[in-house]
Amino acid sequence: MTSLKRIGRIKFGLLAPKEIRRMSVVKVITADTYDDDGFPIDMGLMDQRLGVIDPGLRCKTCGNRPGACPGHMGHIELAAPVVHVGYTKLIKKILLSICKGENCGRVKLTEKEKKEFLNRMEEFRENDRPITPIVEEMFKTSAKVMECPHCGEEQIEIKFEKPTSYYEGDHKLMPAEIRKRFEKIPDEDIPLFGMDVNVARPEWMMLRVLPVPPVTARPSITLESGQRSEDDLTHKLVDILRINQRFQENREAGAPQLIIEDLLELLQYHVTTFFDNAVSGVPSARHRSGRPLKTLSQRLKGKEGRFRGSLSGKRVNFSARTVISPEPNLSINEVGVPKAIAEELTLPVVVTERNIEEMRECVRRGPKHPGANYLRRIDGRRIKITEQNAEEVAETIEYGCRVDRHLKDGDIVLFNRQPSLHRMSIMAHRVKVMPHRTFRINPAVCPPYNADFDGDEMNLHVCQTEEARAEALLLMDVQRNILSPRFGGPIIGGIHDLITGMYILTRRGKMFDENSALELLRKTDIRKLPEPAELIDGVPYWNGKQIFSQILPPGLNLTFNAKICYNCDKCRGVDCERDAYVVIRDSQLLHGVMDEAAVGAFKGKVLDRVVKEYPNETARKFIDDMSHLAIRSIMSEGFSFGIDDEDIPKDAKIQIDEAVELANQKIHKLVDAYENDELEPLPGRSLDETLEMKIMQELGRARDETGRTAERFMGKDNSAVVMAVSGARGSMLNLTQMAACVGQQSVRGERIHRGYIGRTLPHFRRNDLGADAHGFVASSYKTGLNPTEFFFHAIGGREGLVDTAVRTSKSGYFQRRMINALQDLEVKYDGTVRETHGGLVQFMYGEDGVDPSKSDYGKAVNVKRIVEAVVGDEKGAGRV
Amino acid sequence: MNLMLDLRAVSSAYFTREKVAEHHVKSFNKFVDGGIQKIIDEQGLIETDIEDTNERGAYKVYVKLGKVNLLKPTIKEADGSREKIHPTEARLRNVTYAAPIYLEMTIVEEYPETGEKEEYEMKEIEIGELPIMVLSKCCNLYGLGKEGLIERGEDPLDPGGYFIINGTERVVIALEDLAPNKVFVEFDKRYGDKIEVTKTFSQRRGYRALVIVERGHHGILEVSFPSVSGRLNFITMVRALGLETDQEIIEAVSSDLEIQKFILENIEEAEVETTEESMDKIGKRVAAGQAKDYQHKRANYVIDRYLLPHIGNDEDSRLAKAYFLCGMAEACYELALGQRGEDDKDHYSNKRIKLAGDLMEDLFRVSFNRLTRDIKYQLERAHMRNRELNVSTAIRADVLSDRIMHPLATGNWVGGRTGVSQLLDRTDYMATLSHLRRIISPLSRAQPHFEARDLHPTQWGRICPCETPEGPNCGLVKNFAQLVEISSGIGDVDEFKVLLCNLGIERLGGDRSA
Repeated sequence: MTSLKRIGRIKFGLLAPKEIRRMSVVKVITADTYDDDGFPIDMGLMDQRLGVIDPGLRCKTCGNRPGACPGHMGHIELAAPVVHVGYTKLIKKILLSICKGENCGRVKLTEKEKKEFLNRMEEFRENDRPITPIVEEMFKTSAKVMECPHCGEEQIEIKFEKPTSYYEGDHKLMPAEIRKRFEKIPDEDIPLFGMDVNVARPEWMMLRVLPVPPVTARPSITLESGQRSEDDLTHKLVDILRINQRFQENREAGAPQLIIEDLLELLQYHVTTFFDNAVSGVPSARHRSGRPLKTLSQRLKGKEGRFRGSLSGKRVNFSARTVISPEPNLSINEVGVPKAIAEELTLPVVVTERNIEEMRECVRRGPKHPGANYLRRIDGRRIKITEQNAEEVAETIEYGCRVDRHLKDGDIVLFNRQPSLHRMSIMAHRVKVMPHRTFRINPAVCPPYNADFDGDEMNLHVCQTEEARAEALLLMDVQRNILSPRFGGPIIGGIHDLITGMYILTRRGKMFDENSALELLRKTDIRKLPEPAELIDGVPYWNGKQIFSQILPPGLNLTFNAKICYNCDKCRGVDCERDAYVVIRDSQLLHGVMDEAAVGAFKGKVLDRVVKEYPNETARKFIDDMSHLAIRSIMSEGFSFGIDDEDIPKDAKIQIDEAVELANQKIHKLVDAYENDELEPLPGRSLDETLEMKIMQELGRARDETGRTAERFMGKDNSAVVMAVSGARGSMLNLTQMAACVGQQSVRGERIHRGYIGRTLPHFRRNDLGADAHGFVASSYKTGLNPTEFFFHAIGGREGLVDTAVRTSKSGYFQRRMINALQDLEVKYDGTVRETHGGLVQFMYGEDGVDPSKSDYGKAVNVKRIVEAVVGDEKGAGRV
Repeated sequence: MNLMLDLRAVSSAYFTREKVAEHHVKSFNKFVDGGIQKIIDEQGLIETDIEDTNERGAYKVYVKLGKVNLLKPTIKEADGSREKIHPTEARLRNVTYAAPIYLEMTIVEEYPETGEKEEYEMKEIEIGELPIMVLSKCCNLYGLGKEGLIERGEDPLDPGGYFIINGTERVVIALEDLAPNKVFVEFDKRYGDKIEVTKTFSQRRGYRALVIVERGHHGILEVSFPSVSGRLNFITMVRALGLETDQEIIEAVSSDLEIQKFILENIEEAEVETTEESMDKIGKRVAAGQAKDYQHKRANYVIDRYLLPHIGNDEDSRLAKAYFLCGMAEACYELALGQRGEDDKDHYSNKRIKLAGDLMEDLFRVSFNRLTRDIKYQLERAHMRNRELNVSTAIRADVLSDRIMHPLATGNWVGGRTGVSQLLDRTDYMATLSHLRRIISPLSRAQPHFEARDLHPTQWGRICPCETPEGPNCGLVKNFAQLVEISSGIGDVDEFKVLLCNLGIERLGGDRSA
């Protein structure tokens, strides 16, 4: 391998005509491409010296075949100079700043001014600062000078008219004239424009020679009809050549000035659109079908352009995509790969002494699963392994061969779900080849990917080199990314059924005999049980808390309030009647239940502690065991939710109706007060607003009230309540809406007011300010909504739908802008945040120097925890 | 309240009739019955530039158009024969389900010196083909019973209401639009100031012109309409239109004293006193730097053609236009004074639905215009070559057919609207029904337009509250409610105007004014 070199700096200049001619292999003069036999014409646009694309031909410049020949530049000699569209503004500035005098052409600045500008530029350059502002200032000052300080010539105002015309007074400046003027600018004046004379002369912005891109950059395609279809660039070049030729002929024949000018304009148009077919003020050049041509600038620009479409992002091999589905028996760092995919994706393995037998076996199996697809022999030949030739090829295997073997268990792959908004959107997983057709993941890794299983698809990429695998393992492995750099807590953890399962298991009063206890722990590697909690009739029983404790890593002490905690005024601690006070001593769960606050993603405190205080591997094991245990627990208990879970007794219904009726009465009173001008407006609000606010408040209160009633009657063993309370899914509000009262529907935070004149719907009286007439839904989902309620509900629902639709499209764009603004910022070793020039953005990263992924939910240290660890819990006591 | 009917019975009764795509069918029938003839009558005759002399003296040539006759769908076979075709066959053979249109035409030679007219006999000539909506009046399946439909290879439950173009079923989607010729007032912002604006989309035969009256700075009213850049003074406009005296203007605007005060303010600031002066002023704006004569001509033209075209496009309707503008001004002041609120653009009474028939009308008008131009060109060319003039050879049937077929096949309608016709969704029966009852709002999907996407209470019973796509089209693409009834607009009826006049209402002139 040649030694690696670093690019020190890049300097941009203009392409000199000389340079263009020097690198050109052919001067193109014919506008035709192929002759009647379909053979490229000499000195035409498809000249074989420009490179070859047709199979079987050889490049006349480098002698290579298509594919190997990189292509070579050609050139067109333009009959008259034309303006390069990319430089029109600079041309204008330079025109304005130089003297028009016949023998002068110098920048209209005195020697002293000139020196000063140059000195300042030099100073800026030394300090690595952009000199653009000084150049701009120079252009401004020199443009104002109306009498040349060198020759005293009177200057005439110059106007630039888009896209490519320049007028000096009423006289139109031809590109040739401009070029002449620019030629007169002495070398020592050129640095004033911010240019380097060695690589750029202003007159080079007026093209006299046009570089012709090689054929390989504009390949023609052969349609199935045998017809040739040329690339857009070739079409454009043909236009340029035609007009160039006509212009030349007309000029030589002495055609009238008018015609010559028209032709020049046309030539200018074609050259302009050759570079950029979307210049404002220039009608875009079109194909015969009316499709605008894709010329040079269009190839580079935009999302599908060369930069964003072909360089920053491109299509790759060794990748797979399919639907994802859950598999809690997998480890979080595994991914279940369908066999069909494993047979398609391969990994290159070089045959050595140590693996030759293994590889031989792979090759022998050929396309059947743990097999191989290709063998690359030492001589470089690649052989596709088929069922027919597998045995035969397996015999030929020797050291140094490369076998493209199938994916097998334990291989490192990258797994990704779009949109990739943060770094945990791509993580490294270990392959587990499985039957069926979906990727399987542990539901605990859903949060970082923001995935669910309603049809989501994910991508998988196979690392092809040892280096890639090592890097993926060291940086992207799932267990290394449990903590989110966003908020410094675990982003991988229990969700939904996992939390429910844990909650059910660790509730008070769950007892298991040995068989069922071991059954619960079957997928973990725990085979021994502690001392049983109880002996009933001589049979040992273990409680759920004990079973859970088995998966905790040793030496864990923790005290906190569970999610189910009611935040009572006076906490009863371990005597909490709801078992919401969690105490873990030496890895034994003594009190409390495991719910979202313990094992949930984002919030789980036990999880958080395990991840932060134990090795990644232990944390991973804990989450794995947890999901195995939880799923077993919920399955052995059985957990379901049906319409009858929303049933509430008659008494509750009466109470709910009363609450709604009461609210209605209160609103009546409010409205009466309003109509009798007795309502006191709230500070900073109008009377109408006050009324609305009070009504909204009242209705909100009514709904909460009904919700509480419903909750009271539903009982804590109701599966909906279990889910809501433990934080697994849904909230009490959802329950309220299902069982008691849906509540007020709103549009943009207000009650529903639009509709017919004076009322929302014709079902109500005009100017009715009551609850029903403005979208209060007193029914529950269970009892069903009446027609007007249903309609109001649809109104409220529509707003949510529109909101999500508008939000998703905006967030993508916002992300892009954030990335563009922040991508070059870097935290340096001194803790400062700097941009590429070394400019300071922050003196200390985040102004507190805290790496959030190593922090405790954003705070640098968890003082209480340290106190607890040092002093011991008896005294330090504080809850986390 | 237990007197409620079982609504399921009502709606099932509703659906036993062919209701699902009835709106499309009805609308198309209306187009076939009267729409086509109306467009041809609008044209009346095709003038040519042929002027020549023969033994009877100098003469001019034009083509007179008569009655149109739409036949039943047929297919032209390769051997030239015409055969009746049924939708199934069209679908299977990938052909268009279309019927030939015949039009009575004749060439007229007019001798202006003598006033004589040489008219040939009216001849019915095929001018092109019109795609026929399945199960419409012109459809070959029309009136067939269940057995009849099955016999012809048709699903008796198919709702119809779509076209078959080159074998693909194409639905012309209903478009929801802001009601034309209606006055809307709203607040707007100009350079940070809140101003009152009155807008009217004036529409005449497919041409739409937005006329705006606004209360600009210092409370002076200004008018803007197409072809005039910037805004014109309101008083100048009404004076130009014939309301000359101060009193006339004030009375035309409002009888409300408060508003009259504001108008007086305007009159004091007026730039002009008389109609002539006003016309000069407008002329200067519309044709700046041109000869006085031309300015006048241009001003007259602009006022008649581009200002409130729905009222009329001749001099007679000017007074009516003046009164209309005054009405708009009044609305503007009413809003400013808080006598009325902003108009709710999403209120369904302010919406109009353009159905298949209306859209076909637009399409046919443009296509027919193209045909007349082609006929004119062909006749002139024939005359140049000294051939005998003959309408039937001057008609190239494909000119009209292609112009109609192409938009239907691609969805690129006249006026640059895309996606008007769509491939009928046959994923399942429900998808088909839903697709046939779809309404699209032409608002841009790129902008949020929160209010337009909301479900408006006035959509109750008209538009389904639930069925709308998620994503960028949410709330802009809608579907008709089950029991929706679509009434169609009635053109100006003279009897009605006469009746009103007899009741003591004065005529101001113009087609639409009474």
